[in-house]
Amino acid sequence: MSAKILVIIPCYNEEENLVRVIDRLKRSCPDVDYLVVNDCSTDRSEQILRENGYNHVTLPVNLGIGGGVQTGYRYAVENGYDIAVQMDGDGQHDPAYLYEVTGPVERGELDMCIGSRFITKEGFQTSFMRRLGINILSVLIHILSGKKVLDVTSGFRATNKELTAYFANHYAADYPEPEAIMSATLNGFKVGEAPVVMEERMGGVSSIRSLKSAYYMIKVSIALVINRISIQKKGGRG
Amino acid sequence: MSGVTQLFFILGALCLLGFILWLLKKDTLSVKYSLIWLLCGAVLLVFAVCPYFVYVIRDILGMEVPSNVVFLMLDGFELLILISLSIAISQLSEKNKRQTQSIALLEERVRRLEAQTKD
Repeated sequence: MSAKILVIIPCYNEEENLVRVIDRLKRSCPDVDYLVVNDCSTDRSEQILRENGYNHVTLPVNLGIGGGVQTGYRYAVENGYDIAVQMDGDGQHDPAYLYEVTGPVERGELDMCIGSRFITKEGFQTSFMRRLGINILSVLIHILSGKKVLDVTSGFRATNKELTAYFANHYAADYPEPEAIMSATLNGFKVGEAPVVMEERMGGVSSIRSLKSAYYMIKVSIALVINRISIQKKGGRG
Repeated sequence: MSGVTQLFFILGALCLLGFILWLLKKDTLSVKYSLIWLLCGAVLLVFAVCPYFVYVIRDILGMEVPSNVVFLMLDGFELLILISLSIAISQLSEKNKRQTQSIALLEERVRRLEAQTKD
């Protein structure tokens, strides 16, 4: 029997991408369930979700990406899914690689597997400045937790039941991806990466804009250090 | 310190305490958040009634002007109150987040149930 997989798709104003993203997911992975978390979008996202009968929850107020993804994790816990996969709603993540990301988790090799675009270095590699930022955070996480992860901001990631339940209760609010790696590692979960190829987003604008990047770097760095101080490092789990 | 000044300080401290108690009575302010304000008002009242305490603290800290002792204490209280407000906001936003998520999850379940009962 194969694992019950839930794909969590956070969505904030993705009217241009929703249909393509979900149809592509349904085509490539017909046997997984998905849940779109509409984070109080102000565009026609809700209408599109309802008209197409897509499985979704709608947050009555905007919580940001962290609160949105966490809603998905809570849904996965309530409905007894074995693996929860976060996949962005902007079309950057190709569902063809879904099983590459869930595989190590399903086989019990990892508690969290992150789809990384920097292992094979194929496909969309993002801008130089952003790669620099990702590298800095990667080194910082390595220093603080001893875990080397290349694509720390990748939002394409699978978690097993145990870690999903943990994230359902503890998840950072604003830019949660690097922090999630940190807190998972420090709490003794096994984190690793699988190579994937990413695309440039299909339409709309990314939620991380260049003007906000400096603020993002400072905030995440501080959050990581605080994380390191506040969580007592635990040994590996089995 | 002249008698008029002292009377003014006592009245001021009493006004602050009275205002806090009035807010409490009206249920506009919850007891939890009023404690630090009541403490602040009480200390000010004690200082106003017995300025002797202020002089003692001034001598211990080696400060020149007694009023600086009062200002220093007020600064301390203000910082405490501001931090406690930040804590309150953080706790509220966490609770608000959990509730928002629960509402969304419940709404989805209702929608599913409604679709089922229609069949």
